[in-house]
Amino acid sequence: MKVIIDGEAVDFELGETVLEVAQRVGRSIPTLCHEKRLDPVGACRMCLVEVQGQRRLQPSCTWKATEGAVITTQSQRIDTHRQVLLSMYVADHAVDDQGLPKQRGVGNQLRDQVLEYGTGPQLPQLPLRRAVREHDANPYIHFDAEACVLCAACVRYCDEVEAVNAIALVERGGRTTIGTADQQGLLDSSCELCGGCIAVCPTGAMTERPSLGIPPAPEPIRSTCNFCGVGCQVDLHVTDGRLTRVTSPPPGTTVNDGNLCVKGRFASEFVHHPDRLQTPMVRRNGVLEPTTWEDALQTAAKGLLGVKRRHGADALGFVSSSRCTGEENYLMQKLARAAFGTNNCHQCAAT
Amino acid sequence: MTNSIPEIRDADMLFVIGSNTSEAHPIIAMEMKRAVRRGAKLVVADPRAIWLTKIADHHLQLKPGTDVALLTAMAHVIIGEDLVDREFVTKHTENFEAVRDAVRDATPEWAESITGVPADDIRAVARLYATTKKAGIYYTLGITEHTHGTDNVYCLANLVLMTGHLGVRSAGMNPLRGQNNVQGANDAGASPVFYPGYQRVSDPAARARFEAAWGAPLSPDEGMNLNVMMKAMGQGKIRGLYVMGEDILLSEPNTSKMEEGLNKVEFVVVQDILPTETMRFADVVLPAACFVEKDGVFTNSDRRVQRVRKAVEPPGEAKADWEILCDLARAVGYPMPHYTAPREVYAEMAALSDKFAGITHERIGAMGLQWPCPTPDHPGTVTLHEDGPLKGKATFMPAFYRPSEELPDDAYPLVLSTGRTLYHYNAATQTLRAKGALAKQPENFVEMHRYDARKRGLHDGQRVRVASRRGEIEAVVAVSPRMRPGCVWMPLHFPDQLTNRLTNDAGDVVTSTAEYKVCAVEVRAG
Repeated sequence: MKVIIDGEAVDFELGETVLEVAQRVGRSIPTLCHEKRLDPVGACRMCLVEVQGQRRLQPSCTWKATEGAVITTQSQRIDTHRQVLLSMYVADHAVDDQGLPKQRGVGNQLRDQVLEYGTGPQLPQLPLRRAVREHDANPYIHFDAEACVLCAACVRYCDEVEAVNAIALVERGGRTTIGTADQQGLLDSSCELCGGCIAVCPTGAMTERPSLGIPPAPEPIRSTCNFCGVGCQVDLHVTDGRLTRVTSPPPGTTVNDGNLCVKGRFASEFVHHPDRLQTPMVRRNGVLEPTTWEDALQTAAKGLLGVKRRHGADALGFVSSSRCTGEENYLMQKLARAAFGTNNCHQCAAT
Repeated sequence: MTNSIPEIRDADMLFVIGSNTSEAHPIIAMEMKRAVRRGAKLVVADPRAIWLTKIADHHLQLKPGTDVALLTAMAHVIIGEDLVDREFVTKHTENFEAVRDAVRDATPEWAESITGVPADDIRAVARLYATTKKAGIYYTLGITEHTHGTDNVYCLANLVLMTGHLGVRSAGMNPLRGQNNVQGANDAGASPVFYPGYQRVSDPAARARFEAAWGAPLSPDEGMNLNVMMKAMGQGKIRGLYVMGEDILLSEPNTSKMEEGLNKVEFVVVQDILPTETMRFADVVLPAACFVEKDGVFTNSDRRVQRVRKAVEPPGEAKADWEILCDLARAVGYPMPHYTAPREVYAEMAALSDKFAGITHERIGAMGLQWPCPTPDHPGTVTLHEDGPLKGKATFMPAFYRPSEELPDDAYPLVLSTGRTLYHYNAATQTLRAKGALAKQPENFVEMHRYDARKRGLHDGQRVRVASRRGEIEAVVAVSPRMRPGCVWMPLHFPDQLTNRLTNDAGDVVTSTAEYKVCAVEVRAG
């Protein structure tokens, strides 16, 4: 089956949308509300294309490719539509002194699209009528109504992926906003603080509270989450030698498909916590006292060898850790077996 | 897991037993939610009405510790109604007759009298499971943390085998690993009976291989597993202990007995990133780097080896665990090689174990690399047993229901199960330092049914004492419709009011895994 995109006949599979086919052959179509993990809704109207035989422009994210359909993704008509649409978004969005949608540290695709496609008529800025939950004491998720374009990607993620339905589009008309039941704080809602709303927000209206105002690192470091056994891939953002933010790699690229949970995304405060152990310690007269590595290692070696001498190698026990790396577990059992001569080595999650 | 996490979304039936997936493995739960949205049937077997039951087609709310009765009754139905995959059983398995005989009397009505699950529900679920091709079993510690944990696993395996759900995409037998690198730690030989790559220490050929590689004579005797080791401290058989990255005092059952045991140990080394309760007994404390401060690999539930990369420097003088272990080995006179990076350690391990022989740090991409991966050009293995069971023929293992070690009585009339919550993680050394976790769950609580609360004159939010034969702690009542009457549930995260003071250290016959999921307690006003 073939669909004609900008004059080119392109193969497609039944059920594919025009957007999917067009992106596959390298067409650049802007979107705000579109997100791989969510059902397409055609809400933002940025992805409109011409479909031969259709009087109006049609959203390519919901329009299914059909045999022989003739699609145009670039034309004067589409450009004009996009510019007027962007003007209207900008009029209802916080702008900087150049009149561009504000950059809030995190990315803002609306700004990127204004810069790429330009705007149409200069419309007066509208007063902000979308409510925020000022009293929301949750420590992780910040909502900035000024930056919201009501694409509802966050609401749909909360429904379709996390399935807890903590947030919804509430109020009507110009007052429509992202809210909760009775506008309670997220801690009192069914929210599980997974932060998926942040990951899918195109404009940075939803952001991480702990790193508010800190831009994402230009080259985050790919690693693996240290909590449960799912093995989510994480991107670690480091600013001035400190871990400032944990984000998920894009959907479709890793085992977690763009998702993280509350622990993976937010529970990294322990990393730079003042309680972290920083110096080796040895117990003297009943008290653990700071010492040098050399002394600590010698004391440990002497103590363990002493037990081995007095009671045999099998009087020693080595508790390895499923929290540590594979290499470290390998070295721990090698230490127990080769250096001390016992197989008394097991890891903590032996279930 | 015999299968892989990304396969879950394509399943037509999910049988989740003993796993509170949406709290303990939230991202796997997202895949399950996706499957259900697509139309997959979801069956949850759990004593609590956990979140997943909201979207489940069937909730089998069995009494804690009665899984064998439930599962043998399912097998009874499948065999009795001739839903067995005979071709698979003949071709790929042995000993089916033993299980057939074992479940002959395990009628759903008998199981109902033990589990409390209606017989017709058991029949419906058994039929659904047997007649759905892409039907996967997902379980975790609700299955294994019992004195009959091994029997539970046998029963699940029997169901998988008799219905031919092995080697099929989106089906299989899938234990969800509780921690980031449980799989990797086992793979690497942190086991009293296995060298790296599951080579037995009792096998002279394997021993010779490792003796040659490591240049040291190795003990032919199998070591103690963790539960035995912990008990051996009290018996004076373990006199020196090296603990890396676990707060054993918080994590192991029956805390008071643990404390007694640790007091008898002559010398204790603790290597960790944050202060732990076990440090109270330490003679030497070695400060370690956490996961964002070092390189290496973690292996997840679906055997996926993935990279861990250093992003920041460790605080103060803290060092990566691998460096400390090498330094210590040299300090006791063992010539540990001077590795410059963990990838060299991995290469040494891979060279010694066929399962990972084809894996190097450099080869691991965004999707990881799933073992078995025997050669450098092998793509890794997404689904195990696709060409029939790896070991040739899979063996059916009969199991018979027997009650848990400690049952409720007049003095301790409630059954306590324990587990993890969404917001905290195990000993909570890390999450008790996270604002959100503290805002959601600041202190220990005991979930109970309103009948049980009312009977004791307790109300939601009241501070109470929870006591077992082994200890007593304080907690706050959380009256919850999730509970079965007669059952209570507590998280294991809070060091000041430690749930493991209550739990029973009785272990499974085969694995010694302790019965964290069933012990008898009483709750009374504080």
